[in-house]
Amino acid sequence: MSEKKYTKEHEWVEIEGDTATVGITNHAQESLGDIVFIDLPTVGKEVKSNEELCVIESVKAASDIYAPIDGEVIEINNNLNDDASIVNQDPEKDGWIFKMKMADPNQYNNLMTLEEYLASLEN
Amino acid sequence: MSDNALKKIFLNVFHRVNGAKFVPFAGYEMPINYKKGIINEHLHVREKAGIFDVSHMGQILIPASDKNISSLETYTPLNLKKIPSNKCHYSFILNKKGGIVDDIMISKININDQENIYIVYNASRKKILNEIFNNIFENYSILNNRCLIAIQGPGSHSVLNSFLDLSKTKNFLDINIIQFDNSNIYISRSGYTGEDGFEISIPNENSENFINQILKNENTLLCGLGCRDSLRVEAGLSLYGNEINEDITPIQANLSWALDKNRLEDDNLNGSSILLNQLQETKKTRKIGITPVNKTMLRNNMTLYNKEQKEIGYITSGCFSPVLKRSIGIGYINNFTNKLDKLFVNVRGDFEEVIIDNIPFVKKNYKKGG
Repeated sequence: MSEKKYTKEHEWVEIEGDTATVGITNHAQESLGDIVFIDLPTVGKEVKSNEELCVIESVKAASDIYAPIDGEVIEINNNLNDDASIVNQDPEKDGWIFKMKMADPNQYNNLMTLEEYLASLEN
Repeated sequence: MSDNALKKIFLNVFHRVNGAKFVPFAGYEMPINYKKGIINEHLHVREKAGIFDVSHMGQILIPASDKNISSLETYTPLNLKKIPSNKCHYSFILNKKGGIVDDIMISKININDQENIYIVYNASRKKILNEIFNNIFENYSILNNRCLIAIQGPGSHSVLNSFLDLSKTKNFLDINIIQFDNSNIYISRSGYTGEDGFEISIPNENSENFINQILKNENTLLCGLGCRDSLRVEAGLSLYGNEINEDITPIQANLSWALDKNRLEDDNLNGSSILLNQLQETKKTRKIGITPVNKTMLRNNMTLYNKEQKEIGYITSGCFSPVLKRSIGIGYINNFTNKLDKLFVNVRGDFEEVIIDNIPFVKKNYKKGG
């Protein structure tokens, strides 16, 4: 597994080969509050980076999740269909949301490092 | 934009120290939840007892003079001379069309041997109501020097009974004045969660001590406005700005039970003839509970469609029900819709089926006849 990288939309991305695993950060789950339902993306869907891909419904509001990189959705975390609160409990591991096959792995390198992401939260 | 600066309730710092997460609400910086989160706070209220600081709400005390009572009867569909003392009534301030300017809790209480009308009203309606009150009342006091604290849930009575005299608030909607820390507190057996509970109007300077006294009991938990909303939706209660507004009358909002019907014959009541007509004719819309067939979230302002995708209503309140573990909603629908008709909401482009459900979603648990 690679070093985790982050987006300004508070997602984390981890890659293995040309597969990227995507979830939301601990900061994101804290600000969303109790997550009750996730409208997961469809496997096979092709997306461009920054396109809306799925929606997280918390008790407070609905929030869009964006594709961090271009590619195709190849797997979704079906456990979240039964218990979306896994994303609250373990956002950066068991609470992963989808995996995608990257069209251009170079895009991963352009995402934020943990340090850069944490610095962005302070602004 | 200094006019838009959020107002702070008296115990703002206390809530911050206790882990509150704040949101802007009706011009106030208010706790939406504390560390345990909305769902845990919600369930705590249903099972034990939750404490809410609702000091953003308006409180006014008005001497019950003939002139003040007659002025208020222009706006409020109750017979204020006849309502018993020490009992709260859910009522309204009405405009000339019978529309709801605000929904209020109103009671007569005796303070220093003088009969007073005590009204609690919505924070979001303070500006317009204070203008009305200023125009019609003599010698009134807006109680900015008091907090309003609610304790809600089946454990509320035993929590308060350990340090307060509750002998005169035995039943739902009883209100009385008792002593705490040598100060007068107005305590009513009421709330807006569907549970047994109390609301306490207390001088600002006594409020922190009061909450700390409650928090000594391990069955209590500070709760924010987030769960207050999901609790009231489960209980099927109306919220100003959602189910009710100036263009909706109490009859259209299924709240005609709160009207004194005799007052509808009285020209002194705003909108009386309109309300009387509405009471006699078949309603065009009705208030319903809504439950999605599949896993989806109902939200405020979603449109309701029939199977021909024609608009037939809308959702006024949609949320997640922590008790039922699914989304629930309240809304208005064309009254000629059959209870078994298929209905749909549009969730991000997909038509999701919903069904008409009964409200309340969760049985009310008020203390009556004890």
